[in-house]
Amino acid sequence: MTSGGWVYVTYTVAALGALALYLALPRGRASHRTAGFVFGVASMAGLLTVLRYGLGDPAASNLYFLILSFLTVGGAVRVVTHPKPVYSALYFVMVVLATAALAVLAGAEFLAAALVIVYAGAILVTYVFVIMLAQQSESAAGALTYDTTAREPGWSVVAGFVLVATLAGVILERPWPAAEGEAGVAASNALSIGREVLTRYAVSLELAGVLLLVAMIGALAIARKPVPTDEVPPPDETAPPGETGRRVRPF
Amino acid sequence: MPYAVPFMMLGAVLFGIGLVGFLTRRNLIIMFLCTEVMFQGVLLNLIAMGLRHGNLQGQGFGLFVLVVAAVEAGLGLAIVVLLYRRRGTLDAESWRTMRG
Repeated sequence: MTSGGWVYVTYTVAALGALALYLALPRGRASHRTAGFVFGVASMAGLLTVLRYGLGDPAASNLYFLILSFLTVGGAVRVVTHPKPVYSALYFVMVVLATAALAVLAGAEFLAAALVIVYAGAILVTYVFVIMLAQQSESAAGALTYDTTAREPGWSVVAGFVLVATLAGVILERPWPAAEGEAGVAASNALSIGREVLTRYAVSLELAGVLLLVAMIGALAIARKPVPTDEVPPPDETAPPGETGRRVRPF
Repeated sequence: MPYAVPFMMLGAVLFGIGLVGFLTRRNLIIMFLCTEVMFQGVLLNLIAMGLRHGNLQGQGFGLFVLVVAAVEAGLGLAIVVLLYRRRGTLDAESWRTMRG
């Protein structure tokens, strides 16, 4: 098939995926889980076909690559559609691990290790901790309403479809000529990336350290501050006596 | 440059899924998780561009993106905890007074 033909196949797959996402988003009692699942399977098969045959990359026939693509995209869809936050976080761990494995496939071992340590190790623990800390107990009817009802699913899915279709169109239309300049990735990835970061990007590395320090102090300053709850508003002379809660005055 | 173009396509798909999630979900924590999904798409794109040019600049830039993602998660979750203590709910709609 010509590249022009694959563009339309990709648009169709993106439209199918958007429809699947629209149906699978949590929407209270009126969810269409089964239909979303069917369309999701169809669009996933289409996506894997496009990745395998449509991009003209012989390396994409690698079975591991296809399996990892499936895990990455499927996990991301479940992060977005799962009504329970803890499960979303766990699916996100799957996305991170699959992405790290993809990075290993591409020869980026150091970035893969950093992904697993920083994302799956540190960031996800923070997320799960905050979910445990802030999650309200579920009501008798099941999960919380704001977790089970999506906000404007139609327009959001349209926006996502337009974005993905545009990006995919650009990726498919461009010729992507073979690499120029420096030859290949070095034998030892960690060694060469360490050399790169500590010589060419030494200033950026220091800046990144400063950024982390500033963020740490900022997070401490934010989290330590005592917060008045809106149910018991702080005494305020200018407020009329009967007014409590639900309205925040600027400054 | 094996994998470069497929990685770009995967990155685009991940970014789109994350965008839809960020726009639709109402739980503040899940909204942040969706931005992290978008970050994964960006990282895949950086790896792909590094592959395409046959050098390590893409991966080096990816490392710095990782640092910014960690910073964003830390500060964002601190703000989420602050908002939760104020309203007692994680619903983003409870802050619709900020819409004006």
